[in-house]
Amino acid sequence: MQNNADAAVMNFPRRDARDKLLGRTKYTIDVGGSEVIHAVLLRAEVASAQVLRLDVEAARSMPGVRAIATWEDAPGAHGIGIADHPIFARDVIRYHGEPIAAIAAETLEQAHAAAQAITLELAPLPAVLTMAQALEKDAPLVHPDWKDYDILFEGAARGGNVAWEATVARGDTDAAFDRPDVTIVDGVYRVGRQSHVPFEPRAVVAAFEDGRHHIQTSTQVPWTVRHVTARVLNIPESQVRVTVPAVGGGFGLKFDCSLEPYAAILAKKSGRVVSLVNSRREEQMTCLCRENAEIRIRSAVTADGEIVGREATVLMDCGAYGGEQVFLTTMTAHTLGGNYRLGSVRLSSRAIYTNTPPNGAFRACNGVYNTFALERHTDEICDAIGMDRMEFRCRNVVGDQDIGATGQIFEGNVLRPMIDRMQALCAKHPNGRENGQRLDDGRIYGRAMTVGTWFIFVGPSAATVNLNVDGSATLVTSGVEIGSGSMMHALPQIVAAGLGIAPEQVIVKTADTDAAGRDLGVGGGRTTVSIGAASAAACDEVRDKLLAVASEMLQTAPEQLVLADGRVEIRGRPGSGTTIQKVVAEAETRTGPISGSGAFTAPGIEAMPGCAAGHFIDAIDIPVFAVHDCELAIDPDTGQVEILAYRVVQDVGRALNHRAIHGQIQGGVVQGMGYALHEEITINDQGCFDQTGFEAYRLPLAQDVVPIEFDLFEGAPSCGPLGTKGAGEVPILNVGATIGCAIANATGKQVSQLPLTPPRVLALLDGRDEPLALDHISAVWSNNTLRR
Amino acid sequence: MTITLTVNREERIFSGDPRTPLVDVLRDHLRMTGTKAVCREGFCGACMVHVDGAPMASCLLPVGSLDGAAVTTIEGVATMEHLNAVQQAFEDHDVVQCGMCFPGMVMTMSRFFQTNTSPDRDEIKAAMTGNICRCTGYERIIDALMSIRTNEVTS
Repeated sequence: MQNNADAAVMNFPRRDARDKLLGRTKYTIDVGGSEVIHAVLLRAEVASAQVLRLDVEAARSMPGVRAIATWEDAPGAHGIGIADHPIFARDVIRYHGEPIAAIAAETLEQAHAAAQAITLELAPLPAVLTMAQALEKDAPLVHPDWKDYDILFEGAARGGNVAWEATVARGDTDAAFDRPDVTIVDGVYRVGRQSHVPFEPRAVVAAFEDGRHHIQTSTQVPWTVRHVTARVLNIPESQVRVTVPAVGGGFGLKFDCSLEPYAAILAKKSGRVVSLVNSRREEQMTCLCRENAEIRIRSAVTADGEIVGREATVLMDCGAYGGEQVFLTTMTAHTLGGNYRLGSVRLSSRAIYTNTPPNGAFRACNGVYNTFALERHTDEICDAIGMDRMEFRCRNVVGDQDIGATGQIFEGNVLRPMIDRMQALCAKHPNGRENGQRLDDGRIYGRAMTVGTWFIFVGPSAATVNLNVDGSATLVTSGVEIGSGSMMHALPQIVAAGLGIAPEQVIVKTADTDAAGRDLGVGGGRTTVSIGAASAAACDEVRDKLLAVASEMLQTAPEQLVLADGRVEIRGRPGSGTTIQKVVAEAETRTGPISGSGAFTAPGIEAMPGCAAGHFIDAIDIPVFAVHDCELAIDPDTGQVEILAYRVVQDVGRALNHRAIHGQIQGGVVQGMGYALHEEITINDQGCFDQTGFEAYRLPLAQDVVPIEFDLFEGAPSCGPLGTKGAGEVPILNVGATIGCAIANATGKQVSQLPLTPPRVLALLDGRDEPLALDHISAVWSNNTLRR
Repeated sequence: MTITLTVNREERIFSGDPRTPLVDVLRDHLRMTGTKAVCREGFCGACMVHVDGAPMASCLLPVGSLDGAAVTTIEGVATMEHLNAVQQAFEDHDVVQCGMCFPGMVMTMSRFFQTNTSPDRDEIKAAMTGNICRCTGYERIIDALMSIRTNEVTS
C-alpha cells in the first residue's frame, strides 16, 4: 500500500450541511404524508405490578384504528449477555413507561384515543427503586425467573437482582493492604443519570414489502435493529431490511434497538406504512440514560506514591432490564482500572436490576463516572500521603510495557508526554491564581488537571468500493451519519486518498442492510477506525485491479504506477499515464467493472489469562488517553460555578480533519460540563423521572460555555487506518472528573458526587453536606461479589 | 374555523382546530418539515419562524391567532443556490453536526443580524440563548457568526 496518509489529511467540509441549513434534510421524523399511518404505545404508569387483565377488543373498533399489537405478537426476548427483555409487558410490569400495547391508526389523535380504550387491570407489586434496596437481603426480585433466561454470552456471575457481575483479580491485594509501609485510602462516589436529549427522538417508519420488513429508523446500529427485530418477532434475520436516513443526534442512545419492532409488527398487521415517533415526554421519560452509579475504591499506597494494591466495586443501575449495562460492566477494568500502574488489583463491576426505566449507552459510557471517581480518589491519595497531584500522576501513569488491570501490556509512552503538553498549553496563560483564592468579584477560584483512559470499540465492519466509469467511487457500508461527521469527513477522505481521487468524488451510500455487509454500528469511536479500515482494505483491492489493467495499457509494472489526481501515472513522470476513467473503460472490456471489498475486526490484544471473569472484552485493542485542565470560579452566595477556561490534550493517533475534531472536542466537553454541573435525571417514589422535558432538564446554553483550547497528540500506536483513533467519543471522558476536582480544590471540601448543582455546591461551602455513605458496598471487597 | 395566512409569500388556508400549533400546521398540513418540533414547550428554539418579521417559537403559536399574518419559515429564507449570510457562514465554517437545531438557529440569527449588524461576541451569545444545540458546544457557531458581523444579511 502506498503511503497516502498525508493525502488523507485535510479540512474537508461536510456535504450534508447545506440541506440541513435549508431545512431540506429528511430525518426519520420528517417521513410522512397521507400514505403513512401513525402509531403510539400504551405505556405502564406504575413501576411494578402484576397484569391481571389486558383487553384490546374495544380499542380495535375505535375510529381509524388499523392494527393493535401486544405480547402475543412478539414472543421472543432480547438482551445483551442475557435474553431478559420482552418488548411488551405480559404478566408483569417492571418499570414506569414499559410498553404494554402498540396501536396504529390513520391519525395520531385516533391512535391515542384507541390507547385510552384499552382495558388494563393491575395488582401492585413491591418495587425496588434504588440499588441499595435491590441489594438488601430478601429484596423483591425484579426478575424472579432470572435463572431460566437464555444466556447469550457465557462466563459472568449472576444472581437475584445482580443482573451481571464482571470481576478482575490480578496479584495479591490482601498482601498489599497488609503491608506495614502503606497508607490505605478509602473513598466512595456517586453519580446520577444523564439524559442524551437528541433533538430527533427515537423514531421509526416501517413497511412490509414483498414478504419482508423494511424499517427506516433513526439508529446508530442498523444490524442490531435487524437482529433484535428478527429475534423478538421470531423470524429469520434475512426477512428484515434496515435503512437509515439522516439521524438527528444519537450520543449512544440509539445504540440499541428500541421502537423498531413495534412499528414492524404494526406495518405487517395493517399492510400500511407505519410511523412511530416518541413524543418528547416519552423520549425523556424512557431515555436509556447514562446510568446512575455508586463506587467504592480502596487503595494501598506507599510513601513515595506507589499504588501497591487497589480494590474497587462499581454498582451500575441497569434499570428493569440488563441492556447495555451488562456489557458495560466490562469497561470498569479499563477505566477505573486504567490511568495508573497497579501492583495488584481486584475489581467488581455489577449491573443491578431495579424497577426503573432501563439505561443504555452514552458517549464514553462508564468511563465518565469511573474517571470522576478515580481522579477524585487519586487527589485524596495525594492529600493522604502529602504528595503533589501532578507529581503523583507523572510517577504513576501507565507507559510503554506497563501492564493494565487485566494484565494487558500497553505500548508506547503516551499519557506522560501528554501531561507535558498540557503543562505547556497551560503555561501560555499564566495568571498566578491559587486554588481557593478569592477573585476581585468575591468568587472562589479553583483549578485541576486530570488524566483519563478510554478505548476504541473495534469489532466487525465491512465495506465495498465500486469504481465508476466517470472516475468517481461509491463507498457502500452500514455506517450511519449521526451528526458527528465521520461518514462525511473521515471516510471520503480515506477512500479518496486510497484511490488518488478527490474526496468530492467519493459517493458515500447511506446505510442499508440489503446493500452493505455487517457492521457493529456507529459508536464507541469506531467509525473512522473500523469502517475506515474496511474501506481502506476495499480500496486496496480496487487499486490492485486498476493497476493490473493500467499496467498492460502503459506497459509498466504495477509497482511503478501511482494513483493521483484521478490519474494513473508512471512513478516520477507526471503526465505520462492515463485517466482512471480510461482504465475503468478498458477494464470493462477485459474483466468487467472494478470493485473491491474490505473487512475489519478486532485484532484481539491479549490479557493475562485468568485475570478477568464475565468480561466481553478482556483487553482493549486501541487505548485512547486524554488530559484535561479546568479553571473555574464559584459564587459563594449562590453556589453557581462558572467555567473560566478549559483545555484538552487528546490522543487522536492521526488527525485526519483537524476542524472536525475541534467540533467534537467543543461539543463533547460542553456535554460533559452539563453532566458535571446541572444535568441530572432523578427518580421519584413512583419510579418515574422527575425531568419530563426541557424546562426541568437543564441543558448547556450558549452563555454557559467557553471556547475549548486543545492540542491534538498524534503518533501514539493504533491499528486504525493511517494510524487514526476515534476522536468524537473521548472528549467528554474526564470533564466531570476535572470539574469535580477543581471544585474540591477551590473549596477544600470532599467532592464525592455529580452533578455539582448550585445547591450541592452551597452545601459543600457551608459544611452542610452530609458525607456520602454507601453502606451497601462493603469495605471488604469479597463481600461485593457473588463469587466469594 | 378557516384561517388565512401567508407562508413564504404564498397564501395558505387552514381549516381545522384553531388551537393547532403553527409548527404542526407547517409540518403536518403543509408538509414543510424544515421547521423542527423538538421540545414543544418554547425552550429549544428549533421551531423558530418569523411572524410578520419577528422570530417566534412556532410550537407556542395557535394557528387561530395568525389569521392574516405573514409567516416565513426556513424554506423561505434562501434558495438552493444562494444561502443567506448566516447559512453561508455556517457552511463555510463547517459547523453543522446533526443539524436538527440549525433551521431554528438560522431563523433567530438572521433576524438578529438585521437588528444588530456589528454585534460583539457576548451579544451574539445572548441572542443565541434561546436556541439550544446538543451537538456543537456553540463556540464554533459563534466563530462563524462573528465572521459576518459587517456583512449585510437578508432573510
